[in-house]
Amino acid sequence: MNVYSTICPGCNFGCGLYIRENGKVEVDFRKSSPANAGKLCRFGMSLSRLYSPVKSMVDGKETALPEAAKEAAKRISASKGSTAFLSFGNTTCEELLAFQKLAEPYLCTGANFEALPKDTYQTLSVGIPYSEIEVAKHIVLFIDPYEQYPLIVRRLLSAKKREAKITSVWWKDLPLADENIRPADVSKLKLTKDSLVIADFHPLSDVEQVMNVLSLAGNAGAKITFLKPFVNSTGAYIISKDAKQKSLGQLVEDINKGTIKTLFCLESDPYGIIPQETLGKLTNLIIQTGQAGALTTKANVVIAHEPLYKKKGTLINNEGRASALGGAGTNGLEALGIVAGTKFEFDPLHESVKKMLGISAVDEFTIPKYERPQYGAVQASAKPIEAKNALVSVYNPFMWYGLADDNDFVELNLGMVRALKLLKGGNIRIKSNGSSIEKKFKVSPVQDNILLTGKRLGIEKGTLTPVEVSR
Amino acid sequence: MMQKGEMYVGWSTKEDVRKRGGSGGLVTSVLAAALEKKLVDAVVVLKKMNEFEAVPVITSDVNEVLNSAGSLHSVPSNFAKLIANKNLKVALPAKGCDVRGIIEQGKRSAINLDNTFVLGLNCGGSMHPVMTREMLEVMYKIKPEDVHVEEIEKGKLIFETRDGKEHAITIDELEEKGYGRRENCRYCTIKIPNNADLACGNWGVTGDLAGKATFVEINSEKGARLLQNAVDAGYVQLQKPDEKGVAARAKIKGAMEGLSKKWKDKVFVPLDNKLEYFRKELENCIDCGACKSVCPTCSCGDVSKCTEFHYRGDAYKMSMYHLVRFLHLADSCIGCGQCSDVCPVDIPLARLYRRFANSMQEELKYEPGMDLRKPPYFEAKLEV
Repeated sequence: MNVYSTICPGCNFGCGLYIRENGKVEVDFRKSSPANAGKLCRFGMSLSRLYSPVKSMVDGKETALPEAAKEAAKRISASKGSTAFLSFGNTTCEELLAFQKLAEPYLCTGANFEALPKDTYQTLSVGIPYSEIEVAKHIVLFIDPYEQYPLIVRRLLSAKKREAKITSVWWKDLPLADENIRPADVSKLKLTKDSLVIADFHPLSDVEQVMNVLSLAGNAGAKITFLKPFVNSTGAYIISKDAKQKSLGQLVEDINKGTIKTLFCLESDPYGIIPQETLGKLTNLIIQTGQAGALTTKANVVIAHEPLYKKKGTLINNEGRASALGGAGTNGLEALGIVAGTKFEFDPLHESVKKMLGISAVDEFTIPKYERPQYGAVQASAKPIEAKNALVSVYNPFMWYGLADDNDFVELNLGMVRALKLLKGGNIRIKSNGSSIEKKFKVSPVQDNILLTGKRLGIEKGTLTPVEVSR
Repeated sequence: MMQKGEMYVGWSTKEDVRKRGGSGGLVTSVLAAALEKKLVDAVVVLKKMNEFEAVPVITSDVNEVLNSAGSLHSVPSNFAKLIANKNLKVALPAKGCDVRGIIEQGKRSAINLDNTFVLGLNCGGSMHPVMTREMLEVMYKIKPEDVHVEEIEKGKLIFETRDGKEHAITIDELEEKGYGRRENCRYCTIKIPNNADLACGNWGVTGDLAGKATFVEINSEKGARLLQNAVDAGYVQLQKPDEKGVAARAKIKGAMEGLSKKWKDKVFVPLDNKLEYFRKELENCIDCGACKSVCPTCSCGDVSKCTEFHYRGDAYKMSMYHLVRFLHLADSCIGCGQCSDVCPVDIPLARLYRRFANSMQEELKYEPGMDLRKPPYFEAKLEV
């Protein structure tokens, strides 16, 4: 029986767990893990569904990894500079370092750093230790911790036991919040230097909102920490600090313009993140991955290797904590080497990762020391919601991975139910951009005129989509 | 041939196992002998990951058994779910709550108890590994990495560091400060697992053998076969315990059970507003289902009443999932605390389940997981 000590790929929280291969993939609880004490959220408990095996393919025909990688290299070469390389950070630092060499002409981590002040890069990349959350006096949440980053809830509750005040700036009242402020009323928020702001940063983040949050915290001298949705987002950002990066928006624009015709995705499934009509314009979609996903059946080339839990390498979580994966697999590096026309050895890459972090060994119980520079004034802008009704997408691990969850409903408040005369057990009709869908609904303490969804409904355009609603 | 009810003091005949294993390495050697002599096809052992954690694995490799971690206080293991529905002929070490879980799975036809050899381990309680690391730094002022050996003796939790120094603090003091054993271990009354085939531990080992041998009591015919097999295979040596040892063991058991009863009264203080208490404790639930997945008395699988009656889109103040589980566990909860351990939002689930189970099980005079005499009241699977 094989047991792997690993990290949950659901987000960048860094939750430790065991994967046991016992005829099928089983999840077990790694109770010594410093990030999560072995506890897992609904996504972590679903990992056996996520880790479905994948096979290397070229144009729908099964092949071996080296052949798929050689074919990818051929197609990239033939594309004559019209290839983009995308990795959200769902793999090891060692693979990301190798990938960066390959992706030099057009690297996309998904994050829109170009639109944000340079001196905020480190703040956006590396968060604060979770232990600091537990001792904060005033915590301000710009996330829904229950849906988006559930393992932070226990840290917040621990802070509450120490008499911290928790303010939520969200579209729904949160049970653990002492004060609930709606996003449109953010001017009512009172921050001090004792406040700790918790927000998130991802490829679909609204840059203006990120700047607003940075500005609010910066002006008050408050601490700020950003949570991130991919298992090694922090590692990806640290590694790419000095690299030229393109934003997701830029990538979409370049594909639409036809300047990018081939897209190479490393452990990143852009389904639902890049519009389907945009992906349809590509001549070649090449995916290197360890598990089957929405696009592996549609990609022109699939380079399949071991899943994350079997890999050898380093991951860095939101806190900046480095952890070693418990596997021995380096097929990902082998494949990248074939694509790049070189050979990537694990050991030198691992040494570079340690050097970058200023550590002599990867120890998950000790967080490396990071510079946490102050950033200068950030230009804030207030962007009011113009629509009468809006659908808010609450990005969570199930959405990023396109994995089914028990959430085929939208949340809305009782006022909307009464105004639309919705029936218990019935549906609400939602229209947007000429599309119409019917969904079950859940009554929650949500802001007037807002619908919340933790599922991709197919009608949304970004985080906040103006909609019309009826019975 | 050995008989049920007999008691022995014994140790491994293998020097390296004696050195590495606790209390003379008897348990490790009995498991290895069971595998080698094909009494079983597989054995469950703990594979050590660090000083504070080990992961249970099922193995058929005798050397893996001989090199296993033994028992660790900071490993709140959960073996019943590991072996359930696998149709194994298996031997395994088990704390009292593990034994109870295995018996409950047996009642629900998920484990064939005739093919399951259970070596019960005396248990005064286990600790959570993350809390243990914090306790070492805060209370003992030592680095967790420096710990070499841990032991509980005379009411003290003792850590020996690599420099050979012993660091001891009474468990009472640790628990007053919020450290020490997991909450459910404090009020658990199964200290010597007489519900297992063998009950093994260091209580009652006296004189020169103290720390070098294991006291073992045979609780079943299967237990007698298991121990006899180890002797016949030349893996263990036994001798009769002295009367002083037998008396000391009974005295420790009695004292620990008394302490557990006091803890039970301390934890389960009467509530003024029960509904509001339960609603408030459950308000942060994120519907992960981890509590059900680890529950050693649950054998329902993915399709079960608690999940089928529950829909995340419901807006009930307390979910049907929890209400069904309260009902289900009122007769079946063994108080192992696995649910609390894995709850991602730190709901004290074991305490909530025990609030129902304590009164129900007292009323019915029914202790789940202790024997096969009674079926679970709400879950009897009648064979047609």
